[in-house]
Amino acid sequence: MTRHDEPTDFRALNALTKLARDTVERPSAAQLDRGLNLIFATVHQGRRAKVVRFSLVALFVAACAMIGLQLTSFLRARTPEPAALAYRVEGGSVLAGGYLHDSGDGGVRLFFNEGTKVNLMPGARGRVRSLDKEGTRVVIDQGTASFDVARSKERRWLVEAGPFSVAVKGTFFTVSWDPPSEHFELRLQHGSVIVSGPIASGDIELRAGQRLVVNLPKSETLITEDHANGPAASSSRLPPTTPSDGASAVSPLTPRQATAADAAETSPSSPGPISSSANKVERKPSWAEHLAHGRWDRILEEVESRGIDTTLQTATSEELFAVADAARYRRRTDLARSALLAQRQRFPGSARSVDALFLLGRVEESRDRARAISWYDEYLERAASGGYAAEALGRKMVLTNELKGRALARPIAEEYLRHFPKGSYAGAARTLRGEP
Amino acid sequence: MSKRPSQVSLSLVVSTNRRDVTDVELAQGLAAGEAWAMGVTWHRFAPMVLTMAERSLGSRSDAEDLAQDVFLSLLRKAKTLREPEKLRSFVYSFAVFALKSELRRRKLRGWLSILTPEALLELGHRSLDVESRDLLRRFYTLLDRLSARDRLVFSLKELESMTIEEIAEVMDISVSTVKRSLAHALARLSRWIAADPGLADVFDTRRWQR
Repeated sequence: MTRHDEPTDFRALNALTKLARDTVERPSAAQLDRGLNLIFATVHQGRRAKVVRFSLVALFVAACAMIGLQLTSFLRARTPEPAALAYRVEGGSVLAGGYLHDSGDGGVRLFFNEGTKVNLMPGARGRVRSLDKEGTRVVIDQGTASFDVARSKERRWLVEAGPFSVAVKGTFFTVSWDPPSEHFELRLQHGSVIVSGPIASGDIELRAGQRLVVNLPKSETLITEDHANGPAASSSRLPPTTPSDGASAVSPLTPRQATAADAAETSPSSPGPISSSANKVERKPSWAEHLAHGRWDRILEEVESRGIDTTLQTATSEELFAVADAARYRRRTDLARSALLAQRQRFPGSARSVDALFLLGRVEESRDRARAISWYDEYLERAASGGYAAEALGRKMVLTNELKGRALARPIAEEYLRHFPKGSYAGAARTLRGEP
Repeated sequence: MSKRPSQVSLSLVVSTNRRDVTDVELAQGLAAGEAWAMGVTWHRFAPMVLTMAERSLGSRSDAEDLAQDVFLSLLRKAKTLREPEKLRSFVYSFAVFALKSELRRRKLRGWLSILTPEALLELGHRSLDVESRDLLRRFYTLLDRLSARDRLVFSLKELESMTIEEIAEVMDISVSTVKRSLAHALARLSRWIAADPGLADVFDTRRWQR
């Protein structure tokens, strides 16, 4: 059916359709440009709206963060802090400066609210030097005191006795300090402590059951296993150790730290102290670690097992130093000397080789003081400003006075006072110089 | 006295020297968000969209609004175009979808509003005599009585001269549905025209057969 044959209604529809189709014109260029500009304007607006939306979101997030921070600080402020430390005193009173005064003859007892108990024995003098939320510092000026310190991660306990300081980790121990004789003693029942002070080998970490005795005038350090129920403690006197000089406050404490660091670096690659067990999966503690934990006997046992000569020929520089220290503490003077000489011979360019000069002097003092002086001279020549310089000069002064008399010792004393006026041998030097 | 520069409204000028750009390049430019691509796309396809919308809706302003919607949607969804060579079909699909939505809205608006479809008649610029304008107003009034789908099928077939298959493709319906819908629209429109004495009388004068 064509459109011309269609009935009137279809013809009408066709005509209307044609009219509608023809009436609509193609859009003009101006109309198109206007439409395009409108699109770009809308797109631009949309981007701006997007930026505004993003800004609003960012603002919202920032506001939330601020509120979160405020809330956190508010909650933190509400979180109860560790209770302030306090203590009560029995058997005495607290004077100005925290000094503890014994009111009777039963000693002074301190009971801290954290659970720590301190007992100053009759005749002991001490003071609570500081007390805050970070910890407590107690000073024992004289006498004996026992400490039963409650373990705490938040607080630090420090006990000072003369030139020694004891960092406490939660333990029970007794500490004594006698100023006239400069005698320090620490007996550790439980836990562990780190003792710092004029000890040539640096900080010493003591284990439960160990006892540390230091005689400063004689330069003796004694570490014994102090088992209450066991056989008699091996309290044999050790060879003189090396009291550090006050003027070289940094250096005496560094050897242990340096040794520990060296141990961490060298022990995995170095041959183990017992070669037969080198194929074990579990890593054996290095001798430096044994040394740091006071396990002198363990080191010496392993040296014996490995063979002394083999050890001296194959051990690393660090191990030789550990052997020398352990041997000195256990009065194995020959072994200590051999280890130090091996250090000198096998590692002549190392820093330990220079330190070995001083330690050889310390070892030699018990046998040949003249030879000891020559070791000190050699050390001072090689390391005039070394960590042991004050100590070496002080010991040389003392030995010279003992061997050759005051006249020859006096110039050394003057030199000592020039360089180390506040050193631990300053008193002796002034005496030699004739000062009151 | 200093002469104050007159304020001139700025308009974005898009170069029309890209006539040789293929639809594929155009689609890629749109996907990349390039301004020139939007300009060329507009100049290439907007006349088709505008005339189709104006014929279908009977309103130039509505057609312009619809074209804006179509091209903004195109800009947003250009990245989803998997076959760049089918950009023209893509634009047609957007336009038809927009037309269908607009016709549905109108239908709904007609039910809810007191506005009569006659008031919406706003055809092109060509000067029409009063009689022709009245005929078109009556014609679009009848178109408004059709369903959105029937009207769209009728418009695409009779006003845009599209084939049944093309209509089926752009409307995403089957050919038979297009045929059925078209027959339905023609039958109803013929019946309504026959029932309208004014329209029947006009065409009985055989005026339109000149």
